[in-house]
Amino acid sequence: MDTDACIHPYPAGNSSVRRMAIEAGALGFSGIVVPGEMPGVYQGVHIIPAVLIRENDIRKVTGQIRKHGASGILIFVDAGDTGFNRAVLAQTGVHGIRSIHRIPKNAFDHISARLAHENGIAVEIDLYPLIHERGVSRQRVLNRYNDLMKLHSRFQFPLILSSNACSVLDLRSPEEIRLLCSLFGMNKDDTNQALRTISTLLSPLESVMVVP
Amino acid sequence: MREKKRYLLVRIDPPFPDPDPKELYFAVVESVTSLFGDAEAARMMPVVITCGSGYAMIRCIRGYEEKARIAIVTLTSVGERRIALHAVATSGTLLALRRKISMLSLISFEVVASLRFRDREYAARRYPCQKVDLHEKGIKSQELLFLTQDDLEES
Repeated sequence: MDTDACIHPYPAGNSSVRRMAIEAGALGFSGIVVPGEMPGVYQGVHIIPAVLIRENDIRKVTGQIRKHGASGILIFVDAGDTGFNRAVLAQTGVHGIRSIHRIPKNAFDHISARLAHENGIAVEIDLYPLIHERGVSRQRVLNRYNDLMKLHSRFQFPLILSSNACSVLDLRSPEEIRLLCSLFGMNKDDTNQALRTISTLLSPLESVMVVP
Repeated sequence: MREKKRYLLVRIDPPFPDPDPKELYFAVVESVTSLFGDAEAARMMPVVITCGSGYAMIRCIRGYEEKARIAIVTLTSVGERRIALHAVATSGTLLALRRKISMLSLISFEVVASLRFRDREYAARRYPCQKVDLHEKGIKSQELLFLTQDDLEES
């Protein structure tokens, strides 16, 4: 199930969640992750709710995780400095860490990468700046994603791909996403896997338990 | 020596009104240049052949079609207007793309002159599959909204 890992419909953007679902379905997605939305299916496209935690203090993050943890929705936390990222990646209940391109260069390092792999926490690749930025700022994002791919090839932590679209005009098809990802050395298989990571996060593989 | 070309058929979103072909050409060249640089843009030689009815045809040198497609993905506006281009097909001849366009269903819509949504006045275009585009009437701000028929009925 190819899923866009984060979109922002009306009122944050200019397109309603239903319209986003129609357009995403036409582009080839089976699901979209929408922060603050109710779960549902519209014209065959699954609407998956999520919570975005944008805090700098790990105690506040823990509080938010505790608040939303039992509701069964995806929890994504914005990345920060090195210590913050390691603390977030050690938390249970976090599904993904996002905004990696906005943090200092080495804030997501090999220790964070190992923690993400061990705890099955996905790292988000935000495609919005690749599409909308120009010049030095886009080069910086590409550079950051190149570094992330080097860590990914070594530690194999899960990746998710999101358009962070605020409009139907910001949505891109899975094929277009594959092309964009080739800019920073992400191969087709990794891209396909990243597009399907959301379903794995929703129903993680667990070892078989023998119930007496 | 005459170089081999490749032609890309792209869908324009939103389909109406049609962008000016010259402005679209400048937008495509700007996207290619900003992503791959002047040298690669010169080798690729992107050209907008035609533009209308929600589709455009773009030509480039053979071997550069993938880079042209990546650059098209990063195109977000033509002039002042927000736009998205989605590559539909690639071919070695214009004739094949023209055949492809004739096979694609033409984009039809119904114009609604005046419609109220959340206390604001909009002009609307209704497309098949429940899609409705609202364009705010006004001089200062002309908000563009992408909704569905269900959204309008609920509001």
